[in-house]
Amino acid sequence: MKQPPQLSQAQARMAHGALTRDGFLGTDSRNLVEILQDDDGRVRRLGLGHADLAAALQRLTDAALAHLGAPVVIDDRFEVRSVEAMGRMPCPFGHPGLFVKAEVHGRRLDTGETLVWTPLSVHLIGAHGFYQGRGSPYRLEPERLAGFLGMEGKGPEDVT
Amino acid sequence: MADVLTAVGVLVGLGAFLALILVVAERRLVHSGPVRLTINDADPVEVPGGEPLLSVLRERKIFVPSACGGRGSCGLCKVRVLEGGGSVLPTETPHLLPDEIEGRVRLACQVKVRDDTAIEIPAHLMEVEEYEVRVEAIEELTYDIRRVRLAFGPGVEFRFRAGQYVQIETPIYDGLGEPVYRAYSISSPPQDTGAVELIIRKVPRGICTTFVHELLLVGDRLRINGPYGDFYLRETPAEAVFIAGGSGLAPFESILADMAARGVRKKVTLFFGAVSRRDLYDLERLHAYGERLPGFSFVPALSHPDPGDDWQGETGLITDVVARHHGAMEGMEAYLCGSPGMIDACVRVLTDKGVAEDRIFYDKFA
Repeated sequence: MKQPPQLSQAQARMAHGALTRDGFLGTDSRNLVEILQDDDGRVRRLGLGHADLAAALQRLTDAALAHLGAPVVIDDRFEVRSVEAMGRMPCPFGHPGLFVKAEVHGRRLDTGETLVWTPLSVHLIGAHGFYQGRGSPYRLEPERLAGFLGMEGKGPEDVT
Repeated sequence: MADVLTAVGVLVGLGAFLALILVVAERRLVHSGPVRLTINDADPVEVPGGEPLLSVLRERKIFVPSACGGRGSCGLCKVRVLEGGGSVLPTETPHLLPDEIEGRVRLACQVKVRDDTAIEIPAHLMEVEEYEVRVEAIEELTYDIRRVRLAFGPGVEFRFRAGQYVQIETPIYDGLGEPVYRAYSISSPPQDTGAVELIIRKVPRGICTTFVHELLLVGDRLRINGPYGDFYLRETPAEAVFIAGGSGLAPFESILADMAARGVRKKVTLFFGAVSRRDLYDLERLHAYGERLPGFSFVPALSHPDPGDDWQGETGLITDVVARHHGAMEGMEAYLCGSPGMIDACVRVLTDKGVAEDRIFYDKFA
């Protein structure tokens, strides 16, 4: 599949050691355009949009960051906490803005399911439909993410 | 069939022709031989063309701060490019304010020195030097924070101001292509000129902190450069609050030791925020400054003590603890060191309480 030059530049910035130690692509050997198209199809099949998933994840991220590392319970359903470092991260797509360097650790209180993501992960999903490559430490499988957020089988109109 | 083959042949030929034009254009238009670099009105020097400005300066032992090793992610390596440098790149714009772009400020890591170039950098950066140091001691302060003592060679006296920072060059490991640099505040006092101590928290998947926590051993040699930064105590009559989170205690340990050594008198309250007891360290040392520094008080606080912590001290977010301790704070100074989230939250609380924005100090690398 032909990849536009902008995506090739972004893919170069996603490599191991380029912007971060682990990069964004993990062991995924596909071109970025293929990763994006595959995940886009999977999110559509869930009846969701990238913005829906990103908005729900952003809400949890904001709550975690506001509590400066202490765990906080949201909606009696999620417990989230942040592990923040000094410094900020740019978007590998070259998007304006810088993102807090942090991990957010989320846990569903009802199922015990856990998920780890970063503030940049949220931006990458919402603005670029990028869930990172397979094997990347912060790869979020769309179905697993939707399940964690309780959005499986919900169209955007059902998401609060 | 012949038509298809002809079309393919024409396309291949056209592609090759365009590629040739690009190669010729690059050779003719892109300067990659030696060029002249002028720094702060000094005499021009000849440097290799085509290299990033940050690398060219580093080769000449001029160390512009860069916490990301030239990846364009920290935005620290700002210099004014008065001549040459080309246009501002999309990788720079997230880090530059409109008035900085207007003032020809650029990121040295993103600017390629292709033509004769003139730059302006702060004079104090010309004083920054690179040092080879030996790891003299490593002390585990918490489960994820280490104190590392780095000794300079015989005869070397490292001069800095309490509150400043150095950069560690992280050697290549784990398949990473090049060394990277990370900034860490010095926690030892400036009177200790033969070594520096750094307090380093392990960052999840961090390049340098993984190296420091998993690979660095006593006796190893490292390269550091510094000192940098204008985060230092303003010796005014104003009362001050110091607010630290996690490894952000480092510059305050240096400042307090320096105050004690020089007999500096200033009313200071140090707030140290952590999640639970296991995140706190150096409590005895910090409480002891109450005996040595008149007007000093120390307030450790936990936002989420574990049930087994048996914590009798302050609880709550550090911003709430500061707010509880102080009413109106007009005329006071505030010094902050911690995560960007902690700093942003503190700035909001402090300005709401009347601390002037220009009296709130923190390091840009946060």
